[in-house]
Amino acid sequence: MDEWKPNAAIKPHKKRSWYLAWKYKLMNQRALRKLCQTGAVLFLLVTVIVNIKLILDTRRAAYAEEEESVQDYDDEMLNVEVPRHPVNNKKVLDVEVYSSRSKVYVAVDGTTVLEDEAREQGRGIHVIVLNQATGHVMAKRVFDTYSPHEDEAMVLFLNMVARGRILIFTIKDEGSFHLKDTAKNVLKSLGSQVAPFLSWRDMWTFVGKKGGESCTGWESKHAKSPALSTWGDPVLLKTEVHLTSVEDAECHWPDTELNRRRKRFCSKVEGYGSVCSCKDPTPIEFNPDPLKDNKVFDVPVAVIAGNRPNYLYRMLRSLLSAQGVNPQMITVFIDGYYEEPMDVVELFGLSGIQHTPISIKNARVSQHYKASLTATFNLFPDAKFAVVLEEDLDISVDFFSFLSQSIHLLEEDESLYCISAWNDQGYEHTAEDPSLLYRVETMPGLGWVLRKNLYKDELEPKWPTPEKLWDWDMWMRMPEQRKGRECIIPDISRSYHFGIVGLNMNGYFHEAYFKKHKFNTVPNVQLKNVESLRKDAYETEILRLLGEAEVLDHSKNPCEDSFVPDTEGRVYVMFIRMEQEADFTTWTQLAKCLHIWDLDVRGNHKGLWRLFRKKNHFLVVGVPASPYSSKKPSSVTPIYMEPPAKEEGAVAVPAVAAAEQT
Amino acid sequence: NGAVFSKVRGSQSGQDSTRWHVVRKFLGLISSHNIPVYLVDPLILRLVDKDIEQIRSSPDGPSPECKYFCAPRDFTTFALLDKTWKHEVGLFRTAEKMGFQWLKIINKDPRLDGMDDLSGIEIPLHYIFKLASHAIHLVVFYERSGNYLWHGPLRLRQHMDRKFVPFRKLHFGRYPGAYEKPELLHVSIDDLKVQIPKNPSSFLEEMSHSRFLECRYKEARAFFQLYPDDASLDAVEFRKKAKSLLHLAALTLNNLGVKFWLSSGTCLGWYRQCNVIPHSKDVDLGVFIRDYKADIIPAFQKAGLPLKHKFGKVDDSLELSFQGEDDVKLDIFFFYEEDDHMWNGGTQAKSGKKFKYLFPKFTLCWTEFVELKVHVPCETLQYVEANYGPDWKVPVETWDWKSSPSNVQYNGVWPVDEWDDVIQIY
Repeated sequence: MDEWKPNAAIKPHKKRSWYLAWKYKLMNQRALRKLCQTGAVLFLLVTVIVNIKLILDTRRAAYAEEEESVQDYDDEMLNVEVPRHPVNNKKVLDVEVYSSRSKVYVAVDGTTVLEDEAREQGRGIHVIVLNQATGHVMAKRVFDTYSPHEDEAMVLFLNMVARGRILIFTIKDEGSFHLKDTAKNVLKSLGSQVAPFLSWRDMWTFVGKKGGESCTGWESKHAKSPALSTWGDPVLLKTEVHLTSVEDAECHWPDTELNRRRKRFCSKVEGYGSVCSCKDPTPIEFNPDPLKDNKVFDVPVAVIAGNRPNYLYRMLRSLLSAQGVNPQMITVFIDGYYEEPMDVVELFGLSGIQHTPISIKNARVSQHYKASLTATFNLFPDAKFAVVLEEDLDISVDFFSFLSQSIHLLEEDESLYCISAWNDQGYEHTAEDPSLLYRVETMPGLGWVLRKNLYKDELEPKWPTPEKLWDWDMWMRMPEQRKGRECIIPDISRSYHFGIVGLNMNGYFHEAYFKKHKFNTVPNVQLKNVESLRKDAYETEILRLLGEAEVLDHSKNPCEDSFVPDTEGRVYVMFIRMEQEADFTTWTQLAKCLHIWDLDVRGNHKGLWRLFRKKNHFLVVGVPASPYSSKKPSSVTPIYMEPPAKEEGAVAVPAVAAAEQT
Repeated sequence: NGAVFSKVRGSQSGQDSTRWHVVRKFLGLISSHNIPVYLVDPLILRLVDKDIEQIRSSPDGPSPECKYFCAPRDFTTFALLDKTWKHEVGLFRTAEKMGFQWLKIINKDPRLDGMDDLSGIEIPLHYIFKLASHAIHLVVFYERSGNYLWHGPLRLRQHMDRKFVPFRKLHFGRYPGAYEKPELLHVSIDDLKVQIPKNPSSFLEEMSHSRFLECRYKEARAFFQLYPDDASLDAVEFRKKAKSLLHLAALTLNNLGVKFWLSSGTCLGWYRQCNVIPHSKDVDLGVFIRDYKADIIPAFQKAGLPLKHKFGKVDDSLELSFQGEDDVKLDIFFFYEEDDHMWNGGTQAKSGKKFKYLFPKFTLCWTEFVELKVHVPCETLQYVEANYGPDWKVPVETWDWKSSPSNVQYNGVWPVDEWDDVIQIY
């Protein structure tokens, strides 16, 4: 990866886009009202468009002859985009910037390009990047520099902006509390005289230029807060910005097809770092080695995306760098008419499809999944499988090699539900063997393969309707759907979940459950004993393993490191209490103290869990529920671990939200 | 050596070396970009078909004369399989450098048409490359669900040059079309290396009946707005069974070479809601009586579908019913053609009463239904209205085949001595 890092600048209270609101966050009345309003407006807009389209389409349908003219209606109708500043030949832009406690706005030549007066959100420094030749808005960000680390994200972002771009800053509410000197100096270097002196609840607006040698004449207004309990007076900055010529604003890369795509991208958006560097741009074509005997070359890949274009950019880079990738089979499905994700898709020369949002939140994601899967199988009618990826995943270099070696199992073994690249229990300290595969009763998602007939015959006809408000992945995990079938997963994951901002995701949650996940970086791993993953062969394999395993000392505390001897490459087994199939009391406590996924049960196979501890294979058998209980020596008493008594006010990571990792 | 070739033969009377040159240049263009096209020009294929044995036997042999590509025409037609190329813009740059003018005709992707809420994709359906007085019409074929190839209609948009080529004369594009995936043959004709369908005559035959109808997805969505779809487990199960029964029936009849179409409730389901009607309880097909074959019954039995009943006889009112899985029935109605209408018959088992169902004359078109390429009457609306009356848009749960259809006529009674033959129930 290049130097791009995810924008860590997000906290729940300031997420403005409603659909990204976190599930566990209780919706208050106001938010709900706002949502309804937004929804109503959107709905009206969509209705109008649909109606107009219908009328037009009906008219079009009336034409029968090939020479009848049909107007290019669609092109106009689908242009429902974020307004961008119109190109004109004017040499000067009028810029208006307003900063106050409860409202900020920015207008360019009379067009409002930013307006935020929502209560209790949008706090901090708003930044807008304009193209210095056209005046187009290229990026919009807000950094809540009242909170820690957001200033670092802002510096990172500002560093990635190309030289010459126009930068507009305005503070809403408070933007100085965690604005450290590094950040202040960066602002100063952009030409702000007052940034170093910004303090508590000051109002501030500033228009600058990246790498600005001509900072003089750019104004900055600043209203000091008179006291701790009050805010500075609102400030309004009106200024003129001189535009440069288009030639000056563009890089002069050699004229190739790739650079034409790059140019289109870099003239529209900002914040992608070296891909737009004039001197030494990072490649946008990767040409990884092809795979020998690639069994998944013709398998379509559906990338499910929302409006996180920076994530999508990182994801597609890793996907296109994976050995054996076939870019022609990739389709990116974007949930909504977002422009920037589409720009990213086009940068890489891939095909993208936008999806009209249906329903809200989890149900919306669910409907988006359904539409994407149906479309994938329509577009690739020969395909027996589809690879399903999300925009917040890194893809391992041997992702396709892993699938190429295992996909025949999914075709031949009807007891399989999916192949997934993700091991829920595969953390740095619990995963070891890149060539090892497991069968598990849970469906991990996060980079997986779906069989067409499973989708067409079973899932698609029953897919939860929008009003159900269900998560697609929770639904797929339900026994009615899974019907006892299992998924194949690797010990070391072939995907890495880097998303911090998401529907069911936040920084704390990511830190606790995803950050230390192990991710394979070794190319061309030869998987071992793939045939032993078939239904019956796997039982033989497990019995062999259990036969070979040394029983650990059950008098010791399994949470202690000393529970497992200081060896390497051995197989150990422990027995825990598990009264019936659904009794995971002890397992959950064990998972907790081993610092692995404990929010619901993952990775089990008939009451058996397989992981690594201290580079030894470590088996956990639930007694008596597991059929492997018979392997327990009679002298051993299964370990029982009691759940802690519920404490009032314990750290709230609600189980429902946390259990969904997508 | 093309240049020499044209000097020698291009001068012959009634021949057009321009065409030959343009085709040669075009083939050079596309082979330099590794794009596999094949010849689908019906006029040339007709000529080729006459000499097919000779052409097959000498795939590389030099031609004594310019027989195929020198007849003066405005255009020559080739086909391109969409998935075999990467839509590189480089092709068009090279084409321009070679002196070609080109035109691209794009439209909505029909593979996503059934999904109201997706957008963003328009796909190229036709290309026209023009050089001097000759044009190459390149038809883009897409693979679709149901294992067939589809090409789109050619519709010009307002800003397009209507005089670019004589559009009305083009062989492809008046309607969309559906084709089997062709087997191709590398041949050399008129010293040009091209690919042609392995069997040109069957391709030409297929071409004459290739018209394709898209399902009316927009109307189907409107229908489901009014009458929400039945998503119960029973409905899901029935649809699954009906779909697999239809696939099995199609396989069986296609193997026998018996042409069939969706009829009655199955046709209504396609036309009204682009899906199987969940409360319809059976699958209905129509077959022209002239296509009847005695092997139909044994073939179905072999496929695991026993005969349930047989009413009528080949001369009159023939109707076969086969028993599918779990009470899902396959009905095959045989259609009799009169001067001004078609009809099929019905028989009431207990009384021996005969009924006749009248339809206006119709032709057959291809469509896609439950991932299958199947025939439906091209004049579907008339067909459905004849059968279900003007209120066909309103779902009816209870249906009496003897009285409900608007086109039913009482047709007398079978003579008692024929009952054993014309009323067979198993």
